[in-house]
Amino acid sequence: MHQLHPEKLITVVTSEVLEDRLVALVRNRGASGYTLLRARGAGSEGRQSGMLWFDSNLLLKVILPPERLPGLLDDFSALIAKGHHLTVFVSDVAVLSHEKFERPLAP
Amino acid sequence: MSQISNLLIPAVLFFALGILARLIKSDLRFPPDLAKILSIYLLVSIGLHGGFELGKAELGTALASVLWALALGFLLPLAGFALLIATRRVDPLNAAAIAAHYGSVSAGTFLTAIAYLGNQGIEYERYPLIMLAVMESPAIVVGLLLATWSRGRAATAGGAPSAGGNAHLGEIVREAFTNGSVVLLIGSLLIGALASEKSVEALHPFTTDIFMGMLCLFLLEMGMEAGHRFGDFRRVGLVLGAFGLLMPLLGGLVGVVVGHFALGFGVGGTTLVAVLGASASYIAVPPAMRLAIPEANPSFYLTLALGVTFPFNVVVGIPLYHRLAEAAVGAG
Repeated sequence: MHQLHPEKLITVVTSEVLEDRLVALVRNRGASGYTLLRARGAGSEGRQSGMLWFDSNLLLKVILPPERLPGLLDDFSALIAKGHHLTVFVSDVAVLSHEKFERPLAP
Repeated sequence: MSQISNLLIPAVLFFALGILARLIKSDLRFPPDLAKILSIYLLVSIGLHGGFELGKAELGTALASVLWALALGFLLPLAGFALLIATRRVDPLNAAAIAAHYGSVSAGTFLTAIAYLGNQGIEYERYPLIMLAVMESPAIVVGLLLATWSRGRAATAGGAPSAGGNAHLGEIVREAFTNGSVVLLIGSLLIGALASEKSVEALHPFTTDIFMGMLCLFLLEMGMEAGHRFGDFRRVGLVLGAFGLLMPLLGGLVGVVVGHFALGFGVGGTTLVAVLGASASYIAVPPAMRLAIPEANPSFYLTLALGVTFPFNVVVGIPLYHRLAEAAVGAG
């Protein structure tokens, strides 16, 4: 039987132009890593075809120890308060080898 | 009739095909990133081609072109902002974001104008190419300053202090001038100017032979994007739609005056400067505005730049600016 450890998975869908800012926030909050995907879809900002520079969305996934979550959520809330459109949701996940998620990314 | 036959060039017809494909709900779709690849190609080849010609240019005229390009880039968005505020249809932050698009330039419109002039065998000066590179950025900075000013006014007027991104002014100014398309175009211009004649000739198949075909593909995709934006027209409304037609006419007129009377260009060069004044950006400015003025609604500025002004310029504007340029050159 494998030993699984609880962590938080935070998922963000937003415009590609915010990529550098999101990555900087994730690093500053001591995440051990992140995954970025190109995303297409539709929502409050209309269709995002992904065809043009201004028309692409990204999907960001970060797994964090629960105690590091509030700080990152504060940062995302601050972006939303500025008027940026971010879809943010948090899920409970269980991971193998939790030491991997404790080590912050090298700056 | 001659006006219509001037429009019957493949580039413009492919643009129409793109719009038609959207209107009849065709499943025609480019693979992801092809439009980006095409615009990278177009910027590099026009840069190399123009840079080579500019290597033989006069420094004085080149400098004057840069100064006038800066003047247009800073003043046109101010005029657009004033017009938009006068319509009372948008708040100052949306007005700032839209105005920034109209102060910047559309490489797609510029290249269509080159195809149009080439089709009629009209020679043109190469200096407007430097102006194309220079005019990408200043309007972004002006849009940002207008937004900062508007936020400040809203705060002193007793409204809730806006949280908008004023703190990043320096960063955004840097981004405006290091924008990917600006770096590509200026870099390619320099490479074209510095490289030896023989080495540039080796690139001829890349920069010249396939250029018009690539432009056709690019305009096909832009036609589809423009056709898609027609549906958003309802959200923009008639008054803003009218701005999308009036502003290019104003910019085109200013461009003719600058091109011929200030810079002394012939019909071809003056037409190109008019196109620079008339066109609205849809490559460099939208992402910059999305970052810097997140409060503004992207469907306003994208619909106006891509769905109204771009098709207007391609079909009506370019021949019209050509006529104006002819009149100006004829008048002395």
